[in-house]
Amino acid sequence: MKVQYSYLKNFLPTTLSQAKLADVFTKVGFECDLDGPIIDFDITPNRGDALSLRGLKREFHAHQSQKLKDTPSYKKLKFEKDKTVINKIDKTGCGNYHLMVITGLSSIKNLDSKKRNFLSAAGVPLISPLVDLGNYVMLEIGAPMHVFDLDLLDLPINVLFNSNNEPFQIIGGDLKNLEDSSLTIQDQKGVQAVAGIIGGEKTSVSNNTTNIAVEAAFFHPDKIVNQARKYGLATDASHRFERGVDPAIQKKALERFHFLLDDIAEYDAVKCFEGNSQALKEKFVPLSIERFNNFSGLMLTAKTISSLLENLGFTLKSTNKKNLSFKVPSHRFDISLEEDLYEEILRCYGYDNIPINPPKPGPIRSKNKISITSALKTGLVFGGFKELMHMPFVSEENFMKLNSNSNKPAELLNPINENEPMMRRSLFEGLFSAINFNVKKGYSSLKVFELGNVFHRRGDNFIQHEHISGIVYHHEPQKSWDSKVIPYDFYSFKAEMHKLLRIIGIDDLQLEPNSNNKAFNLNSMNIFSGKKVIGALGEIDLAVTKKLIKNTAFGFELYPEEISYNSKVLALKPISKFPSSTRDINILINKSHTYKDVQQTLTNVSISLLNNFVLLNTFEGKGIPDGFISMTLSFIFQSAEKSLKDAEINDSMGQVLSILKKSLGAEVRS
Amino acid sequence: MQIPQDLIDTAKLKLKSVQSEAEFFQLRAQFLGKKSYVISAFASLKSLDPKEKVLAAKELNILKEKLHAIFEEALEVIQNIDEVSALDVTLPSDPYLVGAEHPISKVAERVISYFSALNYQVFSGNEIETDYFNFEALNFPENHPARQMHDTFYIKSKSKSEYLLRTHTSNSQIHSMLREPLPLYMLSPGRVYRCDSDTTHLPMFTQIEGLVVDENVTFGDLKGIIINFLEYFFDEKMEVRFRPSYFPFTEPSAEVDIKFGDNGWLEILGCGMVHPNVLTNCNIDTKKYRGFAFGMGIERLAMLRYGVQDIREFYSSNLDFLNQFTS
Repeated sequence: MKVQYSYLKNFLPTTLSQAKLADVFTKVGFECDLDGPIIDFDITPNRGDALSLRGLKREFHAHQSQKLKDTPSYKKLKFEKDKTVINKIDKTGCGNYHLMVITGLSSIKNLDSKKRNFLSAAGVPLISPLVDLGNYVMLEIGAPMHVFDLDLLDLPINVLFNSNNEPFQIIGGDLKNLEDSSLTIQDQKGVQAVAGIIGGEKTSVSNNTTNIAVEAAFFHPDKIVNQARKYGLATDASHRFERGVDPAIQKKALERFHFLLDDIAEYDAVKCFEGNSQALKEKFVPLSIERFNNFSGLMLTAKTISSLLENLGFTLKSTNKKNLSFKVPSHRFDISLEEDLYEEILRCYGYDNIPINPPKPGPIRSKNKISITSALKTGLVFGGFKELMHMPFVSEENFMKLNSNSNKPAELLNPINENEPMMRRSLFEGLFSAINFNVKKGYSSLKVFELGNVFHRRGDNFIQHEHISGIVYHHEPQKSWDSKVIPYDFYSFKAEMHKLLRIIGIDDLQLEPNSNNKAFNLNSMNIFSGKKVIGALGEIDLAVTKKLIKNTAFGFELYPEEISYNSKVLALKPISKFPSSTRDINILINKSHTYKDVQQTLTNVSISLLNNFVLLNTFEGKGIPDGFISMTLSFIFQSAEKSLKDAEINDSMGQVLSILKKSLGAEVRS
Repeated sequence: MQIPQDLIDTAKLKLKSVQSEAEFFQLRAQFLGKKSYVISAFASLKSLDPKEKVLAAKELNILKEKLHAIFEEALEVIQNIDEVSALDVTLPSDPYLVGAEHPISKVAERVISYFSALNYQVFSGNEIETDYFNFEALNFPENHPARQMHDTFYIKSKSKSEYLLRTHTSNSQIHSMLREPLPLYMLSPGRVYRCDSDTTHLPMFTQIEGLVVDENVTFGDLKGIIINFLEYFFDEKMEVRFRPSYFPFTEPSAEVDIKFGDNGWLEILGCGMVHPNVLTNCNIDTKKYRGFAFGMGIERLAMLRYGVQDIREFYSSNLDFLNQFTS
């Protein structure tokens, strides 16, 4: 709410500077922005009661430890019940309804310039003196009002939910198709205003108006909220009614209007009417001094607490010194619990005056999976990878092309960009774009990764998975200044991934060929920890990047939620004191077998004394029959008990050769 | 025959100043060459009587072997020096890439490190959430204007419950209270969404939520931990201001401002005592337990810490920007 400082200063009254005054209000919970001569109050949605000069004055006085006593000048008026003026009222939507009928208006002139400036500064457009006066009273005491041209109304008034199918013309001329959930003000001809939101064009006042009916009513917030939005409207009245208006001030608002009318017009007669009003319920909230002091860490007395609350309009109702009870004033419809009172007390006492306790630790609990993602991230950073972050919104096309498991997308109803309504199912799309963007900027070698959630729908449920994905890309091979080329291929990448996963503690790591991940071409592998798939790696399928990546790139996708740390205690093997012996052999095998077949053949059986074996090299071409490959393997033998004799090693090598021949048809190549 | 006893020390001394193989061989000739003392002394043995001759020969042999050993050892050292050719060690390294975490990650981890030390457990939360966990359980009344302040992304769904992208990490408060034993000290970082985009707002940003539910928790405890945390985060004592505010899920609620640079007071996080309705929604006995909660925007903290002007830079993947965050 925007308020002119000079006007507010006289209204409160105060001698504080604009900045100091703004500080006071900020401290009691109304954050202020200074905008030239204006103070813009950020009134939180629970404090509709403060959306007026009087509401602000009450808060200001409470902060100065004073009670708001004075009321704006008015002349007391008598309100009659008359079914020919106000007839039916739907009490589920309307708490009270008042009309002040003023006839024979003449010599109407503008509000004084101070009030006009105040209205303009508040962003309320100046329309006509009578409407402006209604708006002024709304800003002054917080009750929205509406001024009808009495001659255009066909009394009596009914306040009912809409049942009219015809479009309703609002002030300004726009037509709105009203919904049945909208509370309306109807006369004998039909709807003349949408309750709490806006009046109708037909019955609005004009320069020729001489007789008026001024409405002041209380509409229940839950019946007003979201209504204005439905019609694309946001009015000062709807803003207030949605947040709540004091249900006890409607008569006073009309009396104040009447009092100020004397300044701008002459008239013949005034008559006031009220419909059947709901009785205002008195609300009491208990407060235990002990509980409050425990809650706040303060040691306040019943006297201090009472006076703080009384300054805000609460009334102390019990004399028990330990357990107090307060009557809630009608304007504080937001208060219903003891904790609500705590907030009021602390707000006025000052949050700054609450003691500061040293931080307390919680109980020790076991670690959780976040530590796996941070271990992976640390490993990647040491490997030269840069972390990126992207928005998760993708197009349907991008969702589909990386959707490896034919999952259904999670789709937004109201996307920011209508071309990107899907939540991502893969992190690769963002990484592809990032590589393209940076290669265009002149970067040639890139290692990037992203950690984030991906989404899909399964039936009526939405599934969220955490992924860490990355790409290694060399637009050109890396070269040093002495023209030395630093090679990087599938196996270099595989080594990096092995190193990363071993270092974070996965000791049952297995890689199996042919992942079905759409991001990769056929040179890809699933990554297993035991029997669980924990990710995939491979050569990026350049077709899915849609020319975002032009040369060979390698990528990985890991599922941290599937990785669990082995907490088992290590069983250490004794270290042999005796020397090991190495024997190399050269075998020829059919290329239908992979190295993995060789590995499995040798590890599936127990070969005596064999400690380890490694692949030294492979060779195909000259001297090797078509469809065959030569592999040189090195075997390391060792015993825990003795130095090995040649005969013993020869015996073990015999076992190696025979199992390779039997299982894979391998021949020794001389 | 007189054999000089200082020959060994003299040889050792002279070897110390030898710089090259050439110098070395010159020196060796002086001590072990044909004209050297030792070799010429052998020649003069002839003139001695047999008894003396044996004694002198033995002594000379020992001397000669010692000299040999000294020169052998010295030669090895000198030859090794000569084998190493000097490099221009100032030439560049082979190309390498420097990895780095994203600034948002770094800042989030800095926050987490403070609270982890106080045994706060770290949980991740659901980004696609039901209306119940994002609003209703957090005491946002249906149709309340407070909901309108959250520009919510909704998800197409056939099910009865309304799905949305969470507008804050506060949904993790509810999940953790329903799941975890009390007392609860938890932290939950994650992405949140608002359908709003300009130079100061992004449709996605990062928050960290904190929640404590324990017996005898006070507003003073909340103040203490926030003030201490801010001092840790910014590496200096901060001027901190708590001012009343409104969040449906806390009562009382506060917004925390810090004095930062020349900007005056800057809003840095929101917090408050957990609203009793929220505790009740999570089946927690409000007579026994109380709680406090806080939430902060990581982008805001990162912008202050690193002096970033445009929030969109964080999600631009521009390496010119990100390469500045290596340390």
